[in-house]
Amino acid sequence: MRPSWFLAVLCRTDTTKRSVYGELGPAKVILDNGKSYGGVKWDGTFSIPDVHPGTYILSVLAHNFTFDKLRVDVSDSDSLPEVRPYIPGTPLSPPSQVMLPYPILLAPRQRNNYFVPRQTFNLLGMFQNPMMLMMVAAGAMMLGAPYLLKSLDPEALEDFKARQAKYSGIQNSIQSGDFKAGLSALMPNDDRARSTGVSTSGSQSNQTPTKGKGKGRRR
Amino acid sequence: MLLSLLAVFAIIGLTSALHASEAGVVDWQKSLVGVPLTYTTSLSPAFHRVHDTVNTTRSVILTATGNNVLAALDPVDGSVAVAALSGPGGATLRIFDALTGQLLLENRLHAPSSGHLSEPIDLGTALSLQPTENTRPHIFVLTNGHSVRLIDGSTGDMKWGWTSADQTSKVIYTKLVATSSTVYLIGLSKSIQSNTLHITSLSASTGELIEDVDVPSNIAEGPADIIPLTSVSGAEPRLAWFDRGAIRSMLLTPDLKDKPASTKEARYRRVIDVNLGEERGIFVAIQHDGSARVFRIDEEGPGVKAIWEFADSADSGRYAPSIYSGGLDKEGNPYVSRVFWSHVLGKASVHVFAPHLADGKGLVSGFAFPFDTRTHGIINHVCVLCPHMNGVAVDNAHPGGFTVLTRLFVTTTTGAVQFWQRDVLEWTREESLASISAAEFVDLPEEQVVHSHNAESFVQRVVRHIIDAKDFPRYLAAFVNRFLTGSYETTSSVLPSAVNASGLLTRDTFGFRKVIVAATGFGKIYGLDSSTGDVLWSRILGLGWAAEVGAVIRPLKIYVTRTVADGDTPQVVVVTQRRAENTLVDTVLFHIDALTGEDARGASPSGEVLQGLDIISGPLVDMFFLPGEKKVVVLIDEFLGVHLYPDNDESQEAFTKVAKSLYLPLRAGVPGNRRLVGHQVHPNPELHDHYFASPIWTTDFPASEDVLSIIRPSHSQPVASLGKVLGNRTTLYKYLNPNLLAVVTASKTVSKCSIYVVDSVKGSILYHVSLPAPDGDCDVKANLVENWLVYTYYNGEGDRLGQTKGQTLVSVEFYEGNKPDDKTRSSDISSYSEKSTHITAYEQAFLLPHGITALSSTATKFGITTKDIIVAYQNNQIQSIPRRLLDPRRPKRKPTSEEMEEMLIQYDPLLPYEPRAVLSHNYQVANVQRVITSPALLESTSLVFAYGLDLFHTRVTPSGTFDVLSENFNKAQLVFTVGGLLAAIIITKPMVQRKKLRERWYQ
Repeated sequence: MRPSWFLAVLCRTDTTKRSVYGELGPAKVILDNGKSYGGVKWDGTFSIPDVHPGTYILSVLAHNFTFDKLRVDVSDSDSLPEVRPYIPGTPLSPPSQVMLPYPILLAPRQRNNYFVPRQTFNLLGMFQNPMMLMMVAAGAMMLGAPYLLKSLDPEALEDFKARQAKYSGIQNSIQSGDFKAGLSALMPNDDRARSTGVSTSGSQSNQTPTKGKGKGRRR
Repeated sequence: MLLSLLAVFAIIGLTSALHASEAGVVDWQKSLVGVPLTYTTSLSPAFHRVHDTVNTTRSVILTATGNNVLAALDPVDGSVAVAALSGPGGATLRIFDALTGQLLLENRLHAPSSGHLSEPIDLGTALSLQPTENTRPHIFVLTNGHSVRLIDGSTGDMKWGWTSADQTSKVIYTKLVATSSTVYLIGLSKSIQSNTLHITSLSASTGELIEDVDVPSNIAEGPADIIPLTSVSGAEPRLAWFDRGAIRSMLLTPDLKDKPASTKEARYRRVIDVNLGEERGIFVAIQHDGSARVFRIDEEGPGVKAIWEFADSADSGRYAPSIYSGGLDKEGNPYVSRVFWSHVLGKASVHVFAPHLADGKGLVSGFAFPFDTRTHGIINHVCVLCPHMNGVAVDNAHPGGFTVLTRLFVTTTTGAVQFWQRDVLEWTREESLASISAAEFVDLPEEQVVHSHNAESFVQRVVRHIIDAKDFPRYLAAFVNRFLTGSYETTSSVLPSAVNASGLLTRDTFGFRKVIVAATGFGKIYGLDSSTGDVLWSRILGLGWAAEVGAVIRPLKIYVTRTVADGDTPQVVVVTQRRAENTLVDTVLFHIDALTGEDARGASPSGEVLQGLDIISGPLVDMFFLPGEKKVVVLIDEFLGVHLYPDNDESQEAFTKVAKSLYLPLRAGVPGNRRLVGHQVHPNPELHDHYFASPIWTTDFPASEDVLSIIRPSHSQPVASLGKVLGNRTTLYKYLNPNLLAVVTASKTVSKCSIYVVDSVKGSILYHVSLPAPDGDCDVKANLVENWLVYTYYNGEGDRLGQTKGQTLVSVEFYEGNKPDDKTRSSDISSYSEKSTHITAYEQAFLLPHGITALSSTATKFGITTKDIIVAYQNNQIQSIPRRLLDPRRPKRKPTSEEMEEMLIQYDPLLPYEPRAVLSHNYQVANVQRVITSPALLESTSLVFAYGLDLFHTRVTPSGTFDVLSENFNKAQLVFTVGGLLAAIIITKPMVQRKKLRERWYQ
């Protein structure tokens, strides 16, 4: 039952004494569930009187700052209390091997930030999106391809054109549900498939301009 | 580990996180300090002048309140300058800065357990300051009625201490008078007939005992009859006391040799300390006829001299008893005021006596102020300050006429504090809201547009249309604006003003605005606007027959008996218990219109005190809402008789219909030995249409356990899903027995608490857990909703290996059967079915970062939104804990793919402190006692109201705002993207056409 006292200093590095309190606001240092406690004074110090021997968890009740918790062992003898770091959620015993100095020195781990920043519209951010990048690249390719083709070697161009026509033919025939034609187009040296593809694309191109014109006029 | 936890919060915690711009818009907080203590002069409100800078002073009103708060109020607008919350028990000396509230010194004088005196709280305690060369004075402290210390005000060191030799003696010191050389302790020595005065003098520098005398005297009342007086001239202090009708006084000298002198006539009734004894030497004595005399210290004669008698202050039927108080002005001149209620004028009157005016002869000035006694009750205490004295020449005949500008700080019986500047009310604070005993949300009706043009001729209609058309341009502008800028209503937009053109309260689009009906322990009921916290209406609860003897009304519960869904204005019934001064206890009901505060029974006129209905002449045992369509409040009296409200044929019929299936678990027995006993309702054979309850079962809790509280699940919320589909396509069916109850018990023999979950029909225990109770007190908070029980307690048994200490929160879920896919239809089957006890409980415990003062779960309209837990932490914050973190099926290893499919995350014992889940953000919400929640019209949103000392209200969206476009929705981005695509089409279309044309030519 011998009352033990322990005295500790709560410090912030960069501020003068008076503003310690101003920033911290009313705060309390409690042992366990708050049966013993001490208020943090204007100079940042606190003391918790009449602590019976035992093992306690020391925590700080402050509104805007988060502090680490400490394990404090108060013993019967005249020796000073033993202070150890304590990570919440870990077993209290065996105690940590690390000893902290006494009087206790506490520094806030973080200032609480209660708010999340609002998402703002960011043009750059929007174009940094991978999907957006792909779209832009595809658009650039589409616009740039004819000029690219012009600069190509005529023979290679012919080859390329033939290949492209073939693929577009396959695409078209698959779109129109003619799988067989599409498959047979994959076979080499088949003229019929090529013509089918072209004619399909031709019939489509007959329709689209009128539609497009109508739309364009409306806007 | 920590990183993963942070990541977890990043995924799920942020659905309800707050944006800085929403703070103060979606929520509000009201700082309260509590109702000032007025029964003792040392703690009651006082004006205090502080030197702010070198040549300006500020005055604050210092008060200690019933909520353990020491507060300083700003007289200008009534804002709280300082509020320091004191902890329980113990004699601790704390020094605060009066303007900033900084704790300057904290000094434990004796341990809480060794305190001898408890009632009243300031008995045996006194302080006196001794000026020093330092900035901070030394302090003489008298504690415990027998020990004195001198404490250095700047360091807190004890200079000396003195304790009376015989602590068990009958002498209790209550007052302390300090001079530069001597400290006088004034105490009372109890003898058989009455108290005698006992004075001890100590040396101020060393604390040595100089003299110790018993003064022959007869003091009937106690410490209030003794007034120490000092004069400003620095002469020896004097002690005046009231002794059998006379006022006696003696000079205090270190040797205590002075002979007591007495006034000539013994014609006084009592003396009143007006806080002017120190340095001014002024007090008030009431004569036998009730008139008041002002006394001042005097060197000659009996030591005190009557300097003034208040005119017309004798007892009279024309005005209520007067309240006397003292005050000082800027120059330090004393004033004595008399405040009384005049029945004739219907106003409160003030007479202020200024002893120094009119060449020292004294002058009284008076005025009346329109105190509203019907809304604020009776003036309990007045504190007066006369800051200026306007030297105004009234007319030529009285060139030296003065008016005294008086400022009054008034505390009323209903807990309001008011500040009057002469007869102008500067501000009012409703401090009784710091002690709300019951509160409930009430829905508001929709705005109704009434068109009544049945018999309308053509011309009339055309005229009406033309008149209505004047609003068209505004409508058009609003429409265009909304279309272009996307400024539509969101969950975080500012609500429009509550009262519409017709003066009726209406709800907003999403149902965020409700009325919070709050009944306080000071006999007053308030209607608060849930969107701003403003008081919409307030009424005093009438005492009925007990008004003559005096009584205290304690509200127990508020029931919403009519909602807007019933088609009319909502009404509430407040169930209260009235304890009269003659110890009679009655149960009284008040039936109130929730929108206006009017009496729904029509018994009391508007603006007057509400008249209640004495439904039971005796205490109440239990009350509940009748299940079913009709909203009937059922009350059970101590003889187990059943009372219905409203008591008409319809409610009787409704009750008869369900009476057979009613099972009432009641708390029986005296405190300390309460048991849970199940009752069934039977018709009373002697009285037609009356029912009584009879016991049918008793729970088999151990005999040493006392039932502390019964936690009922809230049935108002619908259950959206009956089960949970697991990753392996099996289903866990929720145990949804409608008769579930949670019971908290405390054991008298071992320091253990228990929680039981009980089926209230037959009393079978479905779940039981025993919890440690440090120091024997059961501080268990629990919440039961659907099949989910959450309880929290402090686990102090951390000494064993592998254990830890801390606030523990346990989440328990009940499912039907023994394994997944077992189905017993628990919501429908009879409790007598053997299958009803086949349940599986999944539970898991979590550690919280701080202690908890209140716990609740969110409520939404259809119950589809997940239910988060709202907790109030000891560090004055309110936080929401996501349901997913509290899932008791969180695996203790890395989740398998099936568990991942169920969105389960790995178990971690610690629930991390996440500032972004703090709902109260920068607000300090101190000492929350309860948190109540209510659904909004939007399924995603739940309203949260926390009360205790401060009030706090906010809206939470546990699953995000899935049913309304969030504020984050980026209309600009959408428009930009669509526009960009459009531009791309327009640009590429001719190119494609050209290309296709070329293809056809050159193919």
